[in-house]
Amino acid sequence: MSVSNIKEVQGRIVVSLAGEIDLENAGEVRKALLAALKQKKDLLVDLADVDYIDSSGIASLVEGLQVARKQKNELSLVAVSPRALRVLELARLDKVFSIYPDVTAAFAARP
Amino acid sequence: MATAQSDPGPGDIRPPTGTDAGGLDFAASLARSFAASLNVDATVGQALASIIHLLETEAGSLFLLDDKGETLVCRASAGPVKIDGLAVPMGQGIVGLTVAEDRLTFVENAYEDKNFFRAADERTGFVTRSILCAPMRVGEKLIGAVQVLNKISGQPFDSRDGNMLQVMANAAALAISNARLADQLVEQERIRRELELAAEIQRNLLPVPDDDLPICGINRPIREVSGDFYDYFELPDGTIAFALGDVSGKGMNAALLMAKTASLFRCLGKTIRDPARLLSILNREICETTSRGMFVTMVAGLYEPSTGTLRYANAGHLPPLIKFPDRLYETLAPEAPPLGILRETQFVDHEINLNGGLFVAFSDGITEFRHGEEELGTDGLSLLLEYAHDRPLAQRLASVLSDLDQGGWQARDDLTILAIDDRSAGRAWQREHVEQPPAPTEAEFLFGITFPAEPSRLKLMRPAIRAAARACQFEDEEIQDLLLAAGEAVENIMVHAYGGGTKGEITLAVHRLPDGILLRLRDFAPRVDTGKIEPRPLEEVRPGGLGTHFIRAIMDDATFIPLPDGEGNLLELVKRRRSAGVANGGEAGTERFGETGDSKDRD
Repeated sequence: MSVSNIKEVQGRIVVSLAGEIDLENAGEVRKALLAALKQKKDLLVDLADVDYIDSSGIASLVEGLQVARKQKNELSLVAVSPRALRVLELARLDKVFSIYPDVTAAFAARP
Repeated sequence: MATAQSDPGPGDIRPPTGTDAGGLDFAASLARSFAASLNVDATVGQALASIIHLLETEAGSLFLLDDKGETLVCRASAGPVKIDGLAVPMGQGIVGLTVAEDRLTFVENAYEDKNFFRAADERTGFVTRSILCAPMRVGEKLIGAVQVLNKISGQPFDSRDGNMLQVMANAAALAISNARLADQLVEQERIRRELELAAEIQRNLLPVPDDDLPICGINRPIREVSGDFYDYFELPDGTIAFALGDVSGKGMNAALLMAKTASLFRCLGKTIRDPARLLSILNREICETTSRGMFVTMVAGLYEPSTGTLRYANAGHLPPLIKFPDRLYETLAPEAPPLGILRETQFVDHEINLNGGLFVAFSDGITEFRHGEEELGTDGLSLLLEYAHDRPLAQRLASVLSDLDQGGWQARDDLTILAIDDRSAGRAWQREHVEQPPAPTEAEFLFGITFPAEPSRLKLMRPAIRAAARACQFEDEEIQDLLLAAGEAVENIMVHAYGGGTKGEITLAVHRLPDGILLRLRDFAPRVDTGKIEPRPLEEVRPGGLGTHFIRAIMDDATFIPLPDGEGNLLELVKRRRSAGVANGGEAGTERFGETGDSKDRD
C-alpha cells in the first residue's frame, strides 16, 4: 500500500499515503501526485500513516513539489508521521516543504 | 700591510708596539673600551690619544669618511688646537689624498707640499712642519684616515713611524667598524625582538592542530610576520568553520590587517552560518576602517564532517582545488572581488559534497614557488598533493613544502595552505586504496541472505535487519535509521550497479559488533566507479543522490572493499550504538560521529 486515499476538500486535493514507501512503490506515489496536479489545484499530502519512506519516496514528493510550483499551485505536507519527518530532516527538506499538523491547520494557514 | 711604503732598512728593528701582535693588543684594548662605552666618538678620542703618545708627536687627528664616501670629517683631534668637525673633500689635502690613493703618506715639509691645506694652520695658528698620514681600512673598505703632525724630537717621520701608524690605524679602523656594527646590532636586535613578539602573537591566532579533525593548515611567513592567515574551529554541532586569507602587501601593515581580519572571522564565524554573509560583513568592516590600497582576498566556508557537505564563498582569492576520488584535481571558479574594495560587494555561497575527496585552499605564495624560471602553479601543487595522497593530512601538507624546499624551489611570498580531507572524516565512504580488511575478529556472524535485485525484496529484507538490530540492542529510532540506510544501499545496487534490471543477486551478511552492527552487501554487477556516486547538493531540490547522503549521514562507516578478482562490489556498512559511544568513551571518530550523525539530537 502506498496511496491510501485521494479526495477533494474545499477546492484542494488531499492525497493520503500509507505504509512503507520504497523503490517498489514510489512510482505509484509519483503517478498519483502528478495525476492530481493535472487538475491545477493545490495539493495536500497526508503522511500520517507512513511507516517508512526512503529517498525514492522523497524524490516523488520533490518532483510533485517542482511540478506544483511550476504551475503556481501549492504542494504541502500534513500530519507528517515522526518517521517521515525524520527522513525529511535528514534530507534537509523539512524547510523546503510547507508542513502542517493537519488538514485544518493547512486551511487556516492559507484560507 | 697592503699600503705602499718604503721597506724598513736591514738594521731596522721594529719595536713591540710596531708589530702586528702589538697592533692586535692595541685593537683589543680599543675593542674593550668600545664594549665598555658603546660610544664610537669616545673611543676614537682614546685611540688618537694613544697614537700621538706612542709616536711622540705634537698633534694628531682622526678623520672618518661619511656615508656617501665623499667627505672626510674630523671626529677627533689631539694637541694644542682642536679641529673636530673639520670637513675635507675626498681626494683633497694630505688626508683626502691619503684615503683616495689608499697609501701611507709622508710629508717632510708641509709648506713645500702643494697638497698641504694651509687654511687650518692659518685659522688655528698652529705651524705644521711634518705630517704622517695613514689610511684606515677594514678589509677592502676604506673608512677614513689618521694623521700625526710634528715629531716632538723635530725629526722627520721615518719608515718605522709609518709602520707603527699603519698598524695602529688598521687596529683603530677595526675597532671603529666593530663599534659601528655593535650599534647596528643593538638596533637590529630591538627590531628583531619586536618582530618576534608580533610573529608570536600571529602564530597564536592560528588554530591549534587537532589530529581528530579532518582539517589542517600550514602558515609559513616569508619574513618574520605574515600577511596570510588561516583558521578553523569546530562548532557545537560538529560543523567546522574555516577560512584562509591573504592581505595585500607584506610587512607590518599587512600583518596588522591580517590580525584584524583573522580576529573578526573567529568572532563572526561562531554565529554566522552563511559564508557569503560573513564575507559581506567582513568586507564592510574592512572598507570602513582600513587604509586605502589595502585589501584582503579570502575563502571562508563551513564543512560538515558527518555528511561531507562543504559550503563556501570566495572573495577574490585564488580558486581552491578539489579532488574527488578517481577524478583529477579541479579548480573551483573565481568569485567576487576582494574584501576592502567595494562596500556593497555581493558574495555568493556555493555548496558541494566532497564525497570522500579533498578540498585545498592556498595563498599565491604556494603556486608562485619558483625554480629558476619555472613557477609551481596549481598543476604543480596538485602533483605534490597526489604524491603524498596516502599520508595523513598534516603530513601530506608538510610534505608539499618539504618537497619544494628540498627540490631547491624558492618561496617568494608567505606560504599558507589549508586542506579538508573528507576521507578522514570518520565515514570513509570511498577509499581509493583500502587493503582487504581482515574479517573483524570482534564481529559475530548473525545471518546471511541472498535475494534477487528486485525492489519487491526490500520489504522482505527490512524485517530481517530490524530483528538483527534489536538483537544488537539498538534503540527503535536508530533501527529506523539503520533500515533506511541499508535500504538505500540495496537500492543503489539495484539502480546503479545492476542498472535497474533483475538479472543479478544481492547477498547480505549481518554481523553483531560489541558496540553495533556490521552489514556487508555483495553484488555481482560490474565494478562501480565510486567517483560517480555523488550525493546531491542539499540545497538543490532535485531527486537523485539523496540515498547516498542518507547512508553517509546515518552510518558511522560505509566502505567499498576491493574484491581480489571477479566482478562485483562489496560494501561494508557499520553503525555503532549511540549508547555504546557514551558508555565506553569510544574512539575519537566514533564519539564525534555520535554527536554529529544524529541530527535529531540537536534539532
